[in-house]
Amino acid sequence: MVVWSRIRKDFPVLNELYEGKSLIYFDSACMALKPVQVWEAMEYYYKYLGACGGAGRSTHSLGIETSLLTEESRQKLASFINAKSSNEIVWTRNATEGLNIVAATLPIKKDENVVTTSLEHHSGMLPFFKKCQETGSELRIVNAKSDGTFDLTDFEEKIDDKTKIVSFVHASNLTGTIAPLEDIVKIAHEHGAWVVSDEAQYAPHHKLDVQKLDVDFSVLSVHKACGPTGVGILYGKYELLEKLGMFLVGGDVIEDVVYRDGKIIPKYLPPPHKFEAGLQNYGGMLGAGAAVDYLQKIGLDNIHKREQAFSRRLLEGVLELEKFEVLGPLDYKQRAALVSFRPKSDSMNHNDVTEYFNEMLPHNKILMRSGNMCVHPFQYQIGMSPAKGDGVTRASLYIYNTMEEIEIFLTALENFAKAIN
Amino acid sequence: MSDFEERNVQCVLKILRKKNPATTKEIMAMRDLFPDLCAGCSSGGDVILAGKQLVEEGIVKRKWTVEGFEWKLLSDPDK
Repeated sequence: MVVWSRIRKDFPVLNELYEGKSLIYFDSACMALKPVQVWEAMEYYYKYLGACGGAGRSTHSLGIETSLLTEESRQKLASFINAKSSNEIVWTRNATEGLNIVAATLPIKKDENVVTTSLEHHSGMLPFFKKCQETGSELRIVNAKSDGTFDLTDFEEKIDDKTKIVSFVHASNLTGTIAPLEDIVKIAHEHGAWVVSDEAQYAPHHKLDVQKLDVDFSVLSVHKACGPTGVGILYGKYELLEKLGMFLVGGDVIEDVVYRDGKIIPKYLPPPHKFEAGLQNYGGMLGAGAAVDYLQKIGLDNIHKREQAFSRRLLEGVLELEKFEVLGPLDYKQRAALVSFRPKSDSMNHNDVTEYFNEMLPHNKILMRSGNMCVHPFQYQIGMSPAKGDGVTRASLYIYNTMEEIEIFLTALENFAKAIN
Repeated sequence: MSDFEERNVQCVLKILRKKNPATTKEIMAMRDLFPDLCAGCSSGGDVILAGKQLVEEGIVKRKWTVEGFEWKLLSDPDK
């Protein structure tokens, strides 16, 4: 049985007053807080190792231990998403970098196409937009429905035998929509297309099994999973990682660089090392391993079950007030643990909503994010205009939140609704 | 202060010189008038941060109203 009150104690920031007020952290979809176990793992590296890791770089004792521990972390990340092998896990800075690697190194011909959706984070859309611009390939967009869900027939219409890859977000950071990943993978594979899923918002909250889903590539940011900033992973089926071209080049990605007859002839390492140029974030990798250990110890099913109950109350509580428009599906079972909302009256800018909860409450600071969440195309699609100041406030939950915090928020939101035009 | 931050500070000042006081919503709508200064993502967070900095410096006062925050230029640093 999980003792959630004990888990909360692992996050010291939540147990201190900030400017004399209790913090309610509802911004985990942007950045999860870090438990003590994660920064202790990082501290171990910085305090007791601090050396180079990486394949065959420094063979002294500190180098060997650094390499062993970072490879152990790679294995932990592989287990976290049930990859077949740790060789299918590439260290990146974040999900954005993972998507950029796939897009930039994708072997695609001019007459081929890429399929993505209007609900993508810019990180899932722009790398492929750029790739298609460079190659002359076509970028096809599947429009999400106005409630942020998808119609599979739209994917069937857009994906054809010339589709090279389908890129889409498994759980939306704006609407919370959980996409039907297995169905989309099936449609894509029937046409011989690859699939890359953006797991930034899904993997920290749900059990992810890349083998069962048969997804070809997945990316995630460890900082949304209680891990350190600046660390993410790109998962890819090994044989497909081999087919991708090179991304960053330099040290650590090469077997040899021959200089013969005035010519440079590099020979690159196989995956995953071929994508990991230069010295890496070794401390961050250890923190990443500790983060997934931490989440797995709690149990992803336990996390999901608790979050679903919380997000149901949050969603229904916001809707009950009848003063706010909620983006995304209204069925809590179709959503991740976040709610993006805006006053129906359109009387104020979204930044004011967030600022009110950050600064105007007597006893609490409720920390949320406002803006467009880097998903502008979908907002334009449903008639909002980010350029003219339209946006939302997003409350997002994680393992350290409590039902009591949700009730405090809903009471404050009710008072807020009464206090505005 | 970076050049980027300085531009956003100037953005807020220019807007408040045109309309003083102004609500956040009004400020966001007026960013189009100074596209070279009002930098950053269209969500406007950078402009808010710049405004808050001016509040901290005592140049601007911010108060809560039924239409959100109202920003008032108290003393123009360029005059």
